[in-house]
Amino acid sequence: MTMGSCEHLQEYKATHGTNSFRIIHTYFIACSSADARRRKAKSCVCHTCRLHTPRLHACLHCIYFGCYGAKHIHEHAETKGHFLAVDMVHGAVYCFECGDYMYDEQLEEIARKQYKKSKKRLGSKTTNFSSWEPTEVEIEILRQNPKRRKVEMKSSIGLRGLINLGNTCFMNCIVQALTHTPVLRDFFLSDQHSCQVQSQDARQCLVCEMSRLFQEFYCGARTPHIPYRLLHLVWTNARHLAGYEQQDAHEFLIAALDVLHRHCKGYSDDILLSYNSQLNAGTSDSNGSGNPHHCNCIIDQIFTGGLQSDVTCQQCNNVSTTIDPIWDISLDLGPGPPPGGNSNSNSSPNSGFSNSPGTYEPTSLLECLKRFTKPEHLGSSAKIKCSTCGSYQESTKQLTMKKLPIVACFHLKRFEHSTGYHKKISTYVSFPEELDMTPFMSSSRNNTNGYNNQVIQESSRGLSCDNKYSLFAVVNHMGTIESGHYTCFIRQLKDQWFKCDDHLINKALVGDVLNSEGYLLFYHKQILEYD
Amino acid sequence: MMNLFNNILPQDRKIKDAQMRATINQKLVETGERERLKELLRTRLIECGWRDQLKAHCKEVVKEKGLEHITVDDLVQEITPKGRALVPDDVKKELLQRIRTFLADQSNI
Repeated sequence: MTMGSCEHLQEYKATHGTNSFRIIHTYFIACSSADARRRKAKSCVCHTCRLHTPRLHACLHCIYFGCYGAKHIHEHAETKGHFLAVDMVHGAVYCFECGDYMYDEQLEEIARKQYKKSKKRLGSKTTNFSSWEPTEVEIEILRQNPKRRKVEMKSSIGLRGLINLGNTCFMNCIVQALTHTPVLRDFFLSDQHSCQVQSQDARQCLVCEMSRLFQEFYCGARTPHIPYRLLHLVWTNARHLAGYEQQDAHEFLIAALDVLHRHCKGYSDDILLSYNSQLNAGTSDSNGSGNPHHCNCIIDQIFTGGLQSDVTCQQCNNVSTTIDPIWDISLDLGPGPPPGGNSNSNSSPNSGFSNSPGTYEPTSLLECLKRFTKPEHLGSSAKIKCSTCGSYQESTKQLTMKKLPIVACFHLKRFEHSTGYHKKISTYVSFPEELDMTPFMSSSRNNTNGYNNQVIQESSRGLSCDNKYSLFAVVNHMGTIESGHYTCFIRQLKDQWFKCDDHLINKALVGDVLNSEGYLLFYHKQILEYD
Repeated sequence: MMNLFNNILPQDRKIKDAQMRATINQKLVETGERERLKELLRTRLIECGWRDQLKAHCKEVVKEKGLEHITVDDLVQEITPKGRALVPDDVKKELLQRIRTFLADQSNI
């Protein structure tokens, strides 16, 4: 087998050029017009037996289509002396002299362009995957660095403990979760960050520090890492987190993402503005602050989702929609009305839920999400001026997911901070290994119910794989609101779980993970599509 | 549609089947539905791991026969039966359902 061309193909190209190939490809292989498709439908049959068979080949020397299986194209090649033919499914050129398919750069390029055109015409949203080809520079680097690391099932690469620098377990857990986010890891390990920070001391860039951190995690060192530089950078950039007292891991996550996002700047403001207006479905109460969440940095690409808020005027049924970018979903725990109950006009002053105050407490992530996306009746004390009927009316508000992020972070609100009252809600909330977000999408929104039971059934048949997620990290808090300790579970190499307790890394069972209390839950999209 | 052909001789049935297959195929190509179905099938087969399984099998075959002597025909011969057998039933059902729906839509036009 050869990976390249043959002398016969080269000779043919020299005498006949690439036009026949191009024409055959355009009309019969990857059609990009309706006319071409019609022609293809009518004529893609073997000229000998008049049947449409799976491996039809088109002769490159004359107008003849023949079956491969029944050897009609072989007979043609023998009798006519036409030794080159094109497979009409894949566009591969077969040389009868050599007895195998040959690959010519020029013809492949023609085929590639045709396929792209044809896909676009059919309205396909994705492009075909093409393998990575190293550039000249990359080949040189690979040549100069011959050492290769093979990742096997027993490999502990990527696992490293973190020393606690004084109540910094909240930071250690988030670092563990981030270094085990596959898409983020790939970004940093493939050196995609080019520093834009205009500072004399380039060490001020948190993204560069992250990059160094990934190097520390994946270099194979077994001793725990001391993240003092990271801690210092976070303190200088997020002063509200400075100090050695115990902080909230969730707050740290948001602050860290924010600083990383800011330091990733290198994209023009034009992108910010155009994306901003695209996302907001043209309503008057848009988020006026010129949202910084709409750039194209890696943090936004991975973590930013769109939360849609629909406010329906009870008088005229006009729906006012806004879409807010979010990096995580914070879910209320604790007692409240059950989801799926009918809304009535009574309003309860404290909770904002209008249904009869229930003692329903969600015990699973799904129940939390159902409650989160249920339409809530905003009471008479929260009347909103409707833009259509022009009066102050009572309304219902519903939250749904418009756009899903690649990594979805769920924050279970276990810490209650009311005036002079701090409490931790330790109720058990179960969460699944695999999560389907379809019922909570804006497209599943139903005006009266909140979610449609039928939609859940459909999603279980796997019709929409775009919304499926896999759990890959869980941050847990042990103790009380005054004094506690954070640990986390992270997933590695597909199905291996490890518990990270500052500098102690131990193998864990998936059962341990799913039975843990759960404070921050990190889910990764199962299927990624290339835009 | 198939019920209409129950009273026909087997050899005629074969011809009728082939004719119908050709007609259906033509319609699929004309409307571009064939390409869309191919795309769907490709996605489903990747999702369920079929492509990875077959890729691994191909590698084995190449190792066995040797990189120098192997041809595309060799590979086709070796992996076709396995490939056919490994397609999950629900993928088959889904594609079949799509084709049926397509045909039903066509007859309504």
